[in-house]
Amino acid sequence: MSQTDLEIVVDDPTAPEENSPSVTSSGTVEIIVCLLLLALAAILGYDNWRTGASWDSTGPEPGYFPFYLSIILGGSSVYGLIAALIARRGAADTFVTRAQARRVMAVFVPTLLFCLVTQFLGLYVASFLLIAGFMRAVGKIALWKSLLTAFLFTAIMFVTFDIAFDVIMPKGPLEAAFGY
Amino acid sequence: MRISVKAVGAAAALLLSAPAFAGWEPTKPVEIVVAAGAGGASDQMARMMQAAIQKNNLMKQPMVVSLKGGASGAEALMYMKSSEGDPNKVLIAYSLIYMLPLSAKIPFNWRELTPVSVIALDQFVLWDNSAGPKTVKEFVDAAKAASAPFKMGGTGSKREDHVLTVFLEQKTGAKFSYLPYKSGGEAATQLVGNHTESNVNNPSENLEVWRAGQVRPLCVFDKERIAYTSKVTDTQSWADIPTCKEEGVDVQYLMLRAMFLPGKVTPEQQAFYVELFHKVTQTAEYKDYMEKQALKPIFLTGKDMVQFLEEDDATNRSLMTEAGFVAK
Amino acid sequence: MEAFGLLLHGFAVLLTWKTLVLMMVGLVLGIFVGVLPGLGGPNGVAILLPLTFTMDPTSAIVMLSCIYWGALFGGAITSILFNIPGEAWSVATTFDGYPMAQQGRAAEALTAAFTSSFIGSLVAVLLITFLAPMISSFALKFGPPEFFAVYLLTFCSFVGLGREAKHKTVISMSLGLLLAGVGMDTVSGQLRMTFGSSELLRGINFLVAVIGLFGISEILLTMEERLALRGHAASISLRVVLSVWKDLPKYWVTLLRSSFIGCWLGITPGGAIAASFMGYNLAKRFAKDPESFGKGRIEGVFAPETAAHASGTSALLPMLALGIPGSGTAAILLGGLMVWGLNPGPLLFVEHKDFVWGLIASMYLGNVVGLVLVLTTVPIFASILRVPFAAVAPMIVVSCAIGAYAIQNAMFDIWLMLGFGVVGYVFKKIGIPLAPFTLALVLGNRAEDAFRLSMIGSGGDLKVFWSNGLVGSIATLAIVLLFWPLIDALLGRLALTGRTKAASG
Repeated sequence: MSQTDLEIVVDDPTAPEENSPSVTSSGTVEIIVCLLLLALAAILGYDNWRTGASWDSTGPEPGYFPFYLSIILGGSSVYGLIAALIARRGAADTFVTRAQARRVMAVFVPTLLFCLVTQFLGLYVASFLLIAGFMRAVGKIALWKSLLTAFLFTAIMFVTFDIAFDVIMPKGPLEAAFGY
Repeated sequence: MRISVKAVGAAAALLLSAPAFAGWEPTKPVEIVVAAGAGGASDQMARMMQAAIQKNNLMKQPMVVSLKGGASGAEALMYMKSSEGDPNKVLIAYSLIYMLPLSAKIPFNWRELTPVSVIALDQFVLWDNSAGPKTVKEFVDAAKAASAPFKMGGTGSKREDHVLTVFLEQKTGAKFSYLPYKSGGEAATQLVGNHTESNVNNPSENLEVWRAGQVRPLCVFDKERIAYTSKVTDTQSWADIPTCKEEGVDVQYLMLRAMFLPGKVTPEQQAFYVELFHKVTQTAEYKDYMEKQALKPIFLTGKDMVQFLEEDDATNRSLMTEAGFVAK
Repeated sequence: MEAFGLLLHGFAVLLTWKTLVLMMVGLVLGIFVGVLPGLGGPNGVAILLPLTFTMDPTSAIVMLSCIYWGALFGGAITSILFNIPGEAWSVATTFDGYPMAQQGRAAEALTAAFTSSFIGSLVAVLLITFLAPMISSFALKFGPPEFFAVYLLTFCSFVGLGREAKHKTVISMSLGLLLAGVGMDTVSGQLRMTFGSSELLRGINFLVAVIGLFGISEILLTMEERLALRGHAASISLRVVLSVWKDLPKYWVTLLRSSFIGCWLGITPGGAIAASFMGYNLAKRFAKDPESFGKGRIEGVFAPETAAHASGTSALLPMLALGIPGSGTAAILLGGLMVWGLNPGPLLFVEHKDFVWGLIASMYLGNVVGLVLVLTTVPIFASILRVPFAAVAPMIVVSCAIGAYAIQNAMFDIWLMLGFGVVGYVFKKIGIPLAPFTLALVLGNRAEDAFRLSMIGSGGDLKVFWSNGLVGSIATLAIVLLFWPLIDALLGRLALTGRTKAASG
């Protein structure tokens, strides 16, 4: 099968080192998540109890199911908490290493900024900035390539959504200047 | 095609910004905000108007239907409230503008919006399964004799369908269990499957299953019969349905279908839409639609409309209070 | 044969240039999202769903179902060539598919994967074609208690059959159910859990949640892993295709068994993931030499692929006839149906014949066209993986944001999507399954409404759930499934003691 001899190798030069120290263990994260869920369950449970969580003549009140679900959620969180605390004494799995965390942040922070910019300058400007910036800063791709790709992608999106399909995206001062 | 229309629109907008033209015109696509889910009566009406406006070239900008049916339509009301001063959004409203603030304590008052016009009145009909009782009298007797209360399907809770059910109980002395479904379509299906004994759907919501011979209209909740006389099923037209009063149950209720702009728009902007919807009511699409859905045509605007709204608001408020649906 | 006539009518609806073009576009988009890391079937459909809002329902569903087929095919490409399962249900395909590719038999493995997907879907479509008319009259029997019993069955099957730790499934499901309740309660017309916010008034849209949970979180995860992809470029020659096809009859037992498992799990909501693993495991168990599995055996590709696709396809049947989705993608399509104003349920088959049979016909056509398309374009799609991730990642983020915003035109939803992205990332890493959460978010409200309507109807009497044969047997089955692990253990112990007795006696 001569056709399959050609090999594609996609190597990632910025891959995280394998021996990077652990930031936190899965057990710790599980404990935090369980605590957060427990807090959420308490808040929602209280709100539903206030709405009315009893069973009147025509069946359950609006808060009935959510109230008991909050209790179930709270209960299973407590169970999870205990399970995680017990398991923690054993071997701790790494939740994320420092190198991994850095890379995850490298995506998460730009995404967060993208949402912020969308709020104020509209989606298309934000999209252009995100793609160009990400390609340049994280991917170390040539500036002109980054700018061109970002512009083309954003333009295609604009034509597809705002013009062809009348799906109106959030827009800001730049689009307003062009009359959109 | 659409692109070229838009280009023309933009060009026209540039021209129009010159002071020589006094009238105002939208420069962006106009959103018709629907306070109900897809396929419901409001949505169908919005799409009819969209088509009527586009086909007859009544406006240069395109019209986009935007569904905001979340929280039984409260989403649309809050959306309009927060769009103060934006002349590119029109709400297609119905009785929820009076009822939702009362039943769910939604911080909304229709007086904060700019009224444009009332464009139709919707009827309510009492329906039962075609295997059930044949007249209102038989139906009421059967309901009274039944060991468990008859199940009445309807859309939403503490809304027009629910209010009608309560009044039906008061006038006839029969007891009903009211089952609130998410849409009139669902209420229709459940009646066909014999999971409820009756419903009080709008004509349009039960039209298809009536034509399929699966449900029977018993009476219409209005002073007079519906005017349309062309046959809908093999043997009956809308006009053949007796009024409930004729049948000895004096309950009447009509629901408005009206257009509103957000608050704080200019009188020119308001005038543009009054004119636009007036033109819509003259189109063949509108007239067709009114007949097909058995709606009562009406066109009210300006002072007449405000007076109508005030009176309608008072009626709905007293109905809701009497039925015990006003949240404390 | 009524079904046959209706099917022909369906083909007539489809055979217009516009629909065929949409079909091709859908397939290409689908393969594209299937191959892209971080997207995949349900996500692709979710992101592209708003695009179809302005189309007529038949065109829209044809395009979406073709995106779906495309994504299924695309997932197999990356599983085999790069050992990256694009979908959870492609995981089992990698067990033998990737070793085959490493041995230079990539073309053979791909052909096997595509062919078996085709066979699996075909069996399921046949089932839909002949069962659908029966289902629609059967479905009219469904009132609130019956609906609730079915929802209960679905939830119980997730708790009972899932492989994850039970308490994590419970956390995931109860959280989903709670969030589904945010907003207005239909039965009482009261607001709950909105805390006075008008953004929360409309509730939490499950599509927004899905885009965040799967799309955004997958990017975070992909970024964290080492991105060294090694694979083998493949082009498929006619000779390889024919030689694989010639051997097909040898594997008819495997194919049939997997199709059966797939259809069964698709209709009773168990999902394609379970089906693919079950198909693989059974093929291995019944093989004469189970050790050779995992080392590049063609049956190891046939079995999971057939099962996954049979179940993915048959999952559409309960969605159409009852409004209950059997898989994640079916759940998203269900959302689509409602957006287009089609109420999935008993009357859909009566009131929208064009739509239903158009869809069924498009399954046949889409599969055939997809098979041809995919066999010819493998090398092109495989090369997508050579586009740097740094360019693909932000584009996926933007697509997700567009998708989330377009659903309700709300900026708040973009933030919600981001939040769910983080939740999805953390949950995946600590092993809280996301499927029950998604399921609960979709069905939570309906289940609750059905329950409360049943209570109003019966005057608060719980016996209504055992009031007739239909609802009673579904409800009982649900309870059995909930306690299945327990029952299974008991049965196992009984069998064991029986065997030891037999051995000693």
